[in-house]
Order: sequence, then C-alpha cells, then structure tokens
Amino acid sequence: MTNQLKSWFQQGRKTVLVVLFIPSKERDGVTDVNQDYWVNEALEMFGRVFGGATAYPRAKGVWRDDEMQGKLVMDEPVVFHCYTTHEDIHDDDKLDQLGIFCRRLGREAKQGEVGLIVGNEYLAITDFSEGDRES
Amino acid sequence: MKKLKMEKIAKRLGAERRGKATAHSGYFGAAQLAEDISARFKVPASGGRSTDPSWDKKRLVPLASDTLKSLEKLSKEISRDGLVRVEPMQLAAIVLEKFLESVKESDRKTLIDRALQTLDAESSEEDMETPASG
Repeated sequence: MTNQLKSWFQQGRKTVLVVLFIPSKERDGVTDVNQDYWVNEALEMFGRVFGGATAYPRAKGVWRDDEMQGKLVMDEPVVFHCYTTHEDIHDDDKLDQLGIFCRRLGREAKQGEVGLIVGNEYLAITDFSEGDRES
Repeated sequence: MKKLKMEKIAKRLGAERRGKATAHSGYFGAAQLAEDISARFKVPASGGRSTDPSWDKKRLVPLASDTLKSLEKLSKEISRDGLVRVEPMQLAAIVLEKFLESVKESDRKTLIDRALQTLDAESSEEDMETPASG
C-alpha cells in the first residue's frame, strides 16, 4: 500500500512553491524602491536558476518594523510565484544564487527583512552581508 | 510529496525559519491554484485540450450532483481568469492530489486503515442482506 501511495508522488515534477515579495518602499516607508528594476532582476534570477516564475500585479501590504519602535511600513509589493522541483530546492548552488539575490535585494533596496516562502514555510532574511552561506 | 529539508534550505539561504504559511483561500489561494494548474498543464503533442502529462490513468468516479456542481463552478472561475482552461474532473484530480500531499506520512496508515474498516463494514452489511443461494 505504501508503494502505491508513493507512486502517486512522482519525482522531478515542479511541485515546490517558492514565493518572494519585491517591496515598493525602503525600510523608512517613504523612499521608493526601483521596483521595476527588482522585478526584472527577480524574473531573470528565477528564470535562470529555477526555470521560470510568475510575477503578480502589485498588492497592498504592511510590515511592522519591530526594530524601529513598531513603525508600520505601508507597501505595494509584487509577489512572485515560482514552482520548482524537490531536487532543485535542495541544490546548494541554486540556493546560494537565491540567497545572494535576496541579500542583494535587502542590502541595495534598504530593507529590514526579505521574506520568502518555501513549500509552506516562511523564511525571513535579515542579515544582508555578502557571500555564500555554507551548510 | 517528499518532505523538504527546511533546516538545510534556511541555513543555506541565511534565513530564519518563522513558521508555517498556508494559502488555501482568497485571492492568493485562487491564484496559487491557477498557477499550479498553469505550471503543470501542457498541450498534448497530438493536439486537444491541455492536461497534465503525468496523468496516464483514467477511472470512472461516482460523484454526488452537488460535488460536480462545485467542481464545475470552481473550474469556470479559474478558466474565466484566462490563465488556463481546466475541466471539472481535471480540477477534481488536482484537489485529490493536493489532499493526499497534505496528509502526513504518519497519518496515511490510519487513514487507509479507517477506509478499509469502513469498506469491510459495508461489505459485511451487504453480505448479511444478500439471501443465501442454492
């Protein structure tokens, strides 16, 4: 019975969802981010690393910056959905490229946090220093 | 679906794990489902409507009218967005797959045992109702 169940879940299919948020404002909540530039950069990265992604139209968002006395940052993020395989999401090189992109986004777009959803788990990146993260 | 090694993924990304996130309803739930369908549906080389190439089996499944109506309504809503055209029973297959993916490995045996017990009970009742022949 277990083998029959396992056969339902074929390998190599793009069943892992990665969600990335591209912000419209810097951490101060006032300064605009060059969102079009970052959307194109994200499309290029997802296409090259994971084979594709979809950027949805701007949404309304808010983020509470606890390191800035709970200041609310109103935002209009662009949300990316990227479907990838179980193998690719565990590939060190691909994870490094995704991590490098997120940290560059955080650093250059002056963010407090870059949010990613992998599978069904929220991952927050707040350390934007350069370089790969060794496992 | 094979379990993701989230600790490894988070560490490699330099990220902190903040907990589970789910999107099953509302705009993103619908968008996610539409994107899921769009990502996996392909037009067969021989032509015809788009389908998931991995679906290589067909089964006749009995449904309640209300269930079919719900599937028809939802598939129309998804198709209306113009992202992808999905038929009611294609949607049923995806919903079924997603349910099975959501059932934890540890819960599957319990689920199967209960299903088998129910089938056994129904089978026993039918045996009792059937007059002995000969």
